[in-house]
Amino acid sequence: MTRRTMRMAGVVLAGMVIFLPLSSLVIWSFAEKWYWPHLFPQQTGLFYWAKVMQGDLLRALTDGFLIAIVVTVLTLVITIPLAYVLARLPVPFKPLILMIFLLPQAFPQLPVFVNSTTLLYQVNLGGKLGGVVLIHMVGALVFAVWTMTAVFKSVPEALEEAAINLGASRFKAFYSVSLPLATPGIIASTLLVFLYSLDEFTGTLLVGSPFVLTLPVYMYRTSVGYELQVASISALMLMVPGIVLLVLLERYMKSEYLSMFGRI
Amino acid sequence: MRLSHRLACLVIALPPLAIVVWLFFIPFLSSAYLSLLREDQWSLRNYYLVWRLYRYDILYTLWIAFFSLVAVLVIAVFLCGYLRIHINRPVEFLFKIPLFIPFVVVGHAMRVLLAPKGTLNAALSQIGLVNMNDPPSIAFGWIGIAVCLIWKNLALAVLLVLGSYRSVDETFLEAARNFGASTFQQIKDILLPMSKASLAVAGAFMFTSMLASFSVPLMIGSGEPPQMVMIDVFYRINYQMDYGTANALGVVSYLLAMGVAGYYLRTIQKGT
Repeated sequence: MTRRTMRMAGVVLAGMVIFLPLSSLVIWSFAEKWYWPHLFPQQTGLFYWAKVMQGDLLRALTDGFLIAIVVTVLTLVITIPLAYVLARLPVPFKPLILMIFLLPQAFPQLPVFVNSTTLLYQVNLGGKLGGVVLIHMVGALVFAVWTMTAVFKSVPEALEEAAINLGASRFKAFYSVSLPLATPGIIASTLLVFLYSLDEFTGTLLVGSPFVLTLPVYMYRTSVGYELQVASISALMLMVPGIVLLVLLERYMKSEYLSMFGRI
Repeated sequence: MRLSHRLACLVIALPPLAIVVWLFFIPFLSSAYLSLLREDQWSLRNYYLVWRLYRYDILYTLWIAFFSLVAVLVIAVFLCGYLRIHINRPVEFLFKIPLFIPFVVVGHAMRVLLAPKGTLNAALSQIGLVNMNDPPSIAFGWIGIAVCLIWKNLALAVLLVLGSYRSVDETFLEAARNFGASTFQQIKDILLPMSKASLAVAGAFMFTSMLASFSVPLMIGSGEPPQMVMIDVFYRINYQMDYGTANALGVVSYLLAMGVAGYYLRTIQKGT
């Protein structure tokens, strides 16, 4: 075999491994009648797509987006100053602070979130949007603090010192030198926080049930309830934001950021 | 630092720290506390119940995680070796896709694909490989869970292993090629030994995430024992409201994760 055909064979094989599981979702989302053991549905159409547009799916979609936007904005606002301080200043207890932000990555989340749910119910946030936002922020903060600290560390300190030597205050140096230079990294980190919140399942199921519905939880319910068409449509919708992000950011994304994504 | 600066740092650090401490650190510690209480009395009965009811589930979970991890690492070692030596960007891109597909979606997709009357069996029965009247069930068992975990984690493994292979200097590979080394030999004798440390780190990271996997076994589990540990914790809370045993099982899962974390730290310190 020539090198060229080897390469093509590799692409075809990889394409099959990746797209075979996903293709079933596409077929199922258009299937109106599909009897075993036919390879393809007997009748296809947009019936279920039209149906889900009126049901709970739309509510799950809008609630999920609302939660993700709130989580992203809040996380960003409280993380940027902290990340800057951690990257630049000799903060007291820095190792301890960083360790606390590492814990949720190192240990299983579900058994911890079971107790977090109890705590949220104690302050009357269980089963409410606010509670879901807070539980999403736990994971989002871990992710944001680590990536943004790295981003600020990569901005050369000398530039800031030059600004300060020329008479800028520390805040002015941060605002007009470091922040603009860190912007690309911050944008990447922000998009990933948004995606994390949109895809979060465990915390939403525990804290939000049965009142708060996001797309992953809705998909879980419909899938185990054997509403396979509805579940497949939800699954496809869940995949769209991630794929768009991957295509847009593939070239710019550092592998450390991407690797955080293996967890969702 | 001046006192006012210290105060400013504190104010800045407080809100994010408060959220993580309140909703992760305290609940994490209270797992240990609640696991030692039974009807408001100090007791080890929860751990006894874990031993009696769940010891096989713990082994089952370890088995799935171990099997999936070995499979992912073996595939990644050779796939990345191929991608490092013969550059193939489209394949590299394809293997990034699963990173952005959440575990729940993977679970559902595999459920549709691998169920007894799923798409894969339908396709195989067309060419006579599968008996339509008694189709095999790959989903709803440990293999189904393992397939999901492997599929999703392979993306992560390819990313990390390929990164570390790329940091191996090209001259080593050239030298080996000059002596007539095949692709396989270049992987086995150069790339793999020089990336051992990052392979161990990636492995430890994936192993804990596999132990803690919840949405995948929830989507494609059979609902009958044996179950993965996270499912047991969830059912114990949801159906029995038994926080004591659930937390004891949680503590066991932390200890398993910690064992791996210890190994991971040792590998980093050795710096090999």
